Amino acid sequence: MNSLKLLWYYLWIAPHLLQAILALLMLRRKLHRQFPMFFLYTAFEVVQFLTLFLVVRFIDQQLTYEYYVVYVFGSVVSATLRFGIIHEIANQVFRNYAQVQKVRRTLFRWTTVLLLLTGVALAAGIQVTGNPKFGLVVAAILDRTVSLLQCGLLLCLFLFSSYLGLSWRSSTVGIALGLGVFASMELAIAAFRSHFVLYGDLYIDLITLGTYHVCVLIWMFYLLAPERSAQFALQTMPEHDLEAWNHELQRLLRRL
Amino acid sequence: MITAFILIIIGLLAAAALVQLVRTGKVAATGSDSTAKAIHPVDLRAFRNLVDPEEEEFLRANLTAAQFRSLRRERLRTALEYISRAAQNAKILMRMGEAARLNPDASIAEAGEKLADSALHLRLYAFQATAKLYLAILVPGTNISPVRITENYERMTRLVVLLGCLRYPTNGVAAGL
Repeated sequence: MNSLKLLWYYLWIAPHLLQAILALLMLRRKLHRQFPMFFLYTAFEVVQFLTLFLVVRFIDQQLTYEYYVVYVFGSVVSATLRFGIIHEIANQVFRNYAQVQKVRRTLFRWTTVLLLLTGVALAAGIQVTGNPKFGLVVAAILDRTVSLLQCGLLLCLFLFSSYLGLSWRSSTVGIALGLGVFASMELAIAAFRSHFVLYGDLYIDLITLGTYHVCVLIWMFYLLAPERSAQFALQTMPEHDLEAWNHELQRLLRRL
Repeated sequence: MITAFILIIIGLLAAAALVQLVRTGKVAATGSDSTAKAIHPVDLRAFRNLVDPEEEEFLRANLTAAQFRSLRRERLRTALEYISRAAQNAKILMRMGEAARLNPDASIAEAGEKLADSALHLRLYAFQATAKLYLAILVPGTNISPVRITENYERMTRLVVLLGCLRYPTNGVAAGL
């Protein structure tokens, strides 16, 4: 077995082992109650890996029909759960800000519609009929559209909350960052695959698996690090505002 | 081919942007010290004057059309600067309000919550006002009245004072800030 193949096995097995540990630690720290969708996703990824591993080991060593059936089914469930996680993150971030819920819902609705239309328009430009690798091309296009939606929604969430200056819990930052990096890289990889139809290419697989490994490490780092308590102290105040604000105080005191 | 390359670049840039937003503290976890902590002065009287329709009418009546257009653009650009400062201050005060919201003293927590809410409203209004002002710069005939900004800024100011008094009752506002 050459070193690249060895690296491939490491990148396939290690993140899922880490995810199994992460799921157990989430249970122990009761984080599964705060992030039920993320916990479900983590647990599902571990189960999917074990199933694929057993299929490869005992049933379908040549990676043909049975392997791809499990793989495609798992990918569909994973993608659905990732949408659930995005919804969960948005709920967590805006939980304390009731006044922006309406703006947030409108913004997300229109962003989703826009991204979906972009994905469909891009998919329409690809020649599918008559292609001998019809199934793979369709899979790549679907993969690309889902990644585009997830990447766009997460970027929109980050930018909107960044503009408003909302505070995130560090665990939520970690989940969103890991998922965002994964979705962005998946978008790039799916775009590459949809054009060159390169499923099963070792180097592309290594990039995909490596990205996922990095994302799992991000999740572990942020979820297991202790949550910081909110502290804030202003360092400098302009004289002008202090005067105005003290004047306001005097006005208030006169009223009382 | 071009579409694929564009999407690859978008994907890579999006990943970099997400990392950068977290790294620079633009998307900050609670307790993060990465945001700027300096409040910038905002002269509300000057701002009101800049967006006052009567003032604008006066200038329109006393200047040539070309002079008025040029001066109006300058005034709107200055108003944008004021809004940007007010929004930046609101961002900082929002963090301050959120920190106070977790205070065990109920009155401080309540004042903190009100401050955070008010600051958030101000940022939303600032977003709308900025869009309106840019539109007014591009389309000279557009009417603008970002009065809500000044009202909200004043409200936020009062809440900061109140929070300062509650947290530091003996030392005055300055100590509280």
